[in-house]
Amino acid sequence: MNEYDSPDTATEAAPIGETSTDTVVAASAAGGDERLAYRSVFQRLFVRPEVGGLIGAAGIWIFFWAASGTFGTVGQTFTWLDTAATLGIMAVAVSMLMIGGEFDLSSGAMTGAMGMLIIYLVKETGELGGLGFPMLIAIPLSLVVALCIGYLNGFMVERTGQPSFIITLGTFFALIGLKLGLSKRFVGQIQIGRTDEASDFDFFRPIFAAEWARNDHPFELRDFFYISIFAAGIIIVLLAVCELWFQRADERKPIGLVDFIVGLGLGIAAAIALHLTDGVGVNAAIAVLMAVAVFLGMYGWVRWRYEPIENRGSVALDERMRKFLGLGFGLVVLGAVVAVLIDSSSTHEFFFPFTTQGIRVILLLAFTTAGMALIAMASQAALSSSPATKGAVTSVLALAIAVVAALTFIDSEAAKFRASLFSVLLFGAVIVFVWGFVVSRFVERRVKSASADHLGGRMLILGIVSIFIGLAFRMMFITEAELLAEVPPAKTSIRLFWFVAFTATMMWILARTRFGSWTFAVGGNKEAARQVGVPAARTKTQLFMLVSVAAWFVGLLVAFRINSIQSNAGDGQEFFFIIAAVVGGTLLTGGYGTAFGGAIGACIMSMPLAGISAARWNTDWRFLIIGVILLLAVVSNKYLRNRAEAIRR
Amino acid sequence: MKTSKKLLAILPAIALVAASCGGSDGDSSSEAPAETDAAPVETDAPEEVDQTQAGDLTFHMITHSDDGPFWSVVQRGADAAAEDLGVTLVWKPGVNDAQVMVQDIEAAVAEGTDGIAASLPDPDALVGPLQAAVGEGIPVITLNSGANDYQDIGALTHVGQSEDVAGNGAGERFNDAGATKVLCAFQEQGNVGLEERCNGLAETFGGETVIEFMGLDADTTEQQNTINAFLAADPDIDGVLGVGPVITMSALRAAQDLGRELTIGGFDMTPDLLGAIEAGDVAFTVDQQQYLQGYMPVLLMYLNVTNQNTLGGGLPILTGPGFVTTDNATAVIELSAAGTR
Repeated sequence: MNEYDSPDTATEAAPIGETSTDTVVAASAAGGDERLAYRSVFQRLFVRPEVGGLIGAAGIWIFFWAASGTFGTVGQTFTWLDTAATLGIMAVAVSMLMIGGEFDLSSGAMTGAMGMLIIYLVKETGELGGLGFPMLIAIPLSLVVALCIGYLNGFMVERTGQPSFIITLGTFFALIGLKLGLSKRFVGQIQIGRTDEASDFDFFRPIFAAEWARNDHPFELRDFFYISIFAAGIIIVLLAVCELWFQRADERKPIGLVDFIVGLGLGIAAAIALHLTDGVGVNAAIAVLMAVAVFLGMYGWVRWRYEPIENRGSVALDERMRKFLGLGFGLVVLGAVVAVLIDSSSTHEFFFPFTTQGIRVILLLAFTTAGMALIAMASQAALSSSPATKGAVTSVLALAIAVVAALTFIDSEAAKFRASLFSVLLFGAVIVFVWGFVVSRFVERRVKSASADHLGGRMLILGIVSIFIGLAFRMMFITEAELLAEVPPAKTSIRLFWFVAFTATMMWILARTRFGSWTFAVGGNKEAARQVGVPAARTKTQLFMLVSVAAWFVGLLVAFRINSIQSNAGDGQEFFFIIAAVVGGTLLTGGYGTAFGGAIGACIMSMPLAGISAARWNTDWRFLIIGVILLLAVVSNKYLRNRAEAIRR
Repeated sequence: MKTSKKLLAILPAIALVAASCGGSDGDSSSEAPAETDAAPVETDAPEEVDQTQAGDLTFHMITHSDDGPFWSVVQRGADAAAEDLGVTLVWKPGVNDAQVMVQDIEAAVAEGTDGIAASLPDPDALVGPLQAAVGEGIPVITLNSGANDYQDIGALTHVGQSEDVAGNGAGERFNDAGATKVLCAFQEQGNVGLEERCNGLAETFGGETVIEFMGLDADTTEQQNTINAFLAADPDIDGVLGVGPVITMSALRAAQDLGRELTIGGFDMTPDLLGAIEAGDVAFTVDQQQYLQGYMPVLLMYLNVTNQNTLGGGLPILTGPGFVTTDNATAVIELSAAGTR
């Protein structure tokens, strides 16, 4: 896996113990073995364990965004992200442990236990118990207790050689009993409060529970920062893709750079025009201007840096491609016709749950999806044909996307479909078209290039980070106009920051440190790992301790958040942690997975309940949805893993 | 939640009794009492009236108590009644084991107890021994659970709470507060008692009631955020009833996050919920006043033995719903700390 010095290669997913042969092969590859086929960064990205989770998360988000009026709003996004934060910290830690090949069923009960312990330590002495320590003592003291529990879990698993499933099941019940028994014994109640009795509560509160109310932070230049950073992110991502995809030219063409700058300027001008003006006609003109800008910019950039194709060949569609393309495009158009013909406002019900509206949506989705799939198959088939053919097929794909975009525009009353979805699809169509254009004119890189991979990888990360920073601007601040329109309050907290920071740290540990490699090693094949000198027992014990530290931290966050904890807090949550890890692509058997996947899994787990509530459906269905998600995730992750192994070999 | 959930059959008549027992605030009991087919109490009084002195009396209270916070309040009530009346009370906690309770009942009968108050978590096991006790001429009262079986036993009466009547009371509270659409948020799917509380609310509440699961108590963060999502999606909701103390606090935090002014009601009591009521953030909580479930059986057995009185007219005596509101929160917090609420 480590052939290239590229920051975004999938080192994290490389189980050392399991694939010691891989390491040997990789070593020989470094020596320049010609037999190894070149695998682009995209191929390697696509087979990362969390890809299935990412696609699933996007799907669930779009589903609830479409189904409810409030799910996509800033306030509600913060709401499910907040649920994901505490769940996610645990899910990431549990993912690490599972990569190391172990389970911790006590992790859920431990979050509650740690919260109760902290409150008990700081509660004022009195009739109802409590020790009255300051947080300054309570926080490290409880951390020590957490470390001890984690150590005990690891120690027992290692000493007895029994499955951690059984050992931690024991810890789980022991903790539940302790929580109940001790709280009744010392406090006389099954609930223990209050955190704010700690003498230094006010000092620690901002660290663990600082809140950010969006409506208190007006910022007039928000949209300027949001749009420019976001757009810059998208541009950088597109350029990064080009850098990774194409073969660099021996001689650069400065005229291309001029095109690129003109395109960029045109795009900025169009954005400013969009901001200043209003009206359908003007918007349409600006859209055309934007499309031209995208074309000029991207084509210019590629023309500047990369090797053009000498002989493009001619458009030669074989029988199969022609069939796919014709049928596919026909189906998309048919979907559009159906959408226009059937009355979208009728709610006549044939039989539950099918209404006229419902059937219309089903037909529409079926036709367009099938059509798109056929066109995608045609593009797949075109991969091995002449560049000109590739370009032609991609143009048809772009056209089909444009039809769907137009469809959403005429189809829906809802502003979010008319505005957001339409613009996104239209932009997508333009990108696909331009992509088809450049791909058919420039040489695809088929050999490794450390510098291109390095630069492209860095750009990709920079672009993605920029996109998120742009979105963060949009979510954190409010404009005067929104205040006047009385946008509902939105609140986020420092917990989200801790979630991101913890996930990033764990990703770094897994990918870049010796401990991370050991984690993969002991999870993949413990005996093999031991034989090559990995301290297996110590690594596993440390992983258990990592989980209990995460539980301690989450307990701390909850104690600061709600000020009092009931003894059943966290009980049973361990299953959600494990589900989140599995949905994020981590294997139950160990040796395979990522920390990032755990975070994605937590988002997937936290979206359904908020989404069902927002869509006003019956919440009884929630567990069904979670069950189905888990099953789908297991099946699709298995498929992706098979692909990954096929590509890696 | 600790009471029997099967009082439905005799619902219409119990409101009057609730008022007569004097234990509840009673403002939920406005419905006219209906004549019911409830059988008159078979008192099974001893043939000869013992002219016993109170000091000689010994009563047994045999329950499935786990000596937890709930039952410790019951026990304090029973002890207080024994002290007030000058009788001896033997407290036998069965810790949810019906066999232990059967043994305790048989032992009490053999000792020649003057009265047995028992809860009926497992009627199949307990009805027989209690019938035998009644056959011996010992007055029996059921408490907490046993509303469906006390007549079979021949008990004097039953002292407990009915979940749907408690929900009825909450509905009246929301009517008084002028709410038009109330979310009844519950925290456990498939718990009959919790859904009965919500159904009880829907019966008396004049506006629209929405009954939805809003996340487990084990994850208060998710609970709060689910309620937040639900409230944000429905601006018409102006009241929330949480059928447990934890979910009630989650609802309060969600409403505060959204900046919504809602009438919030809850069930049962925890220190933080009582604090929120005292601060005026939560309008009320429904209290089943389990202290009465300890106190009243001792009093009733005493009056039956010494004066041949019966109370309740063959119907159960309801100890709830009692309400804790801003008016009495401060007092209840003190009483709760003292262990009688």
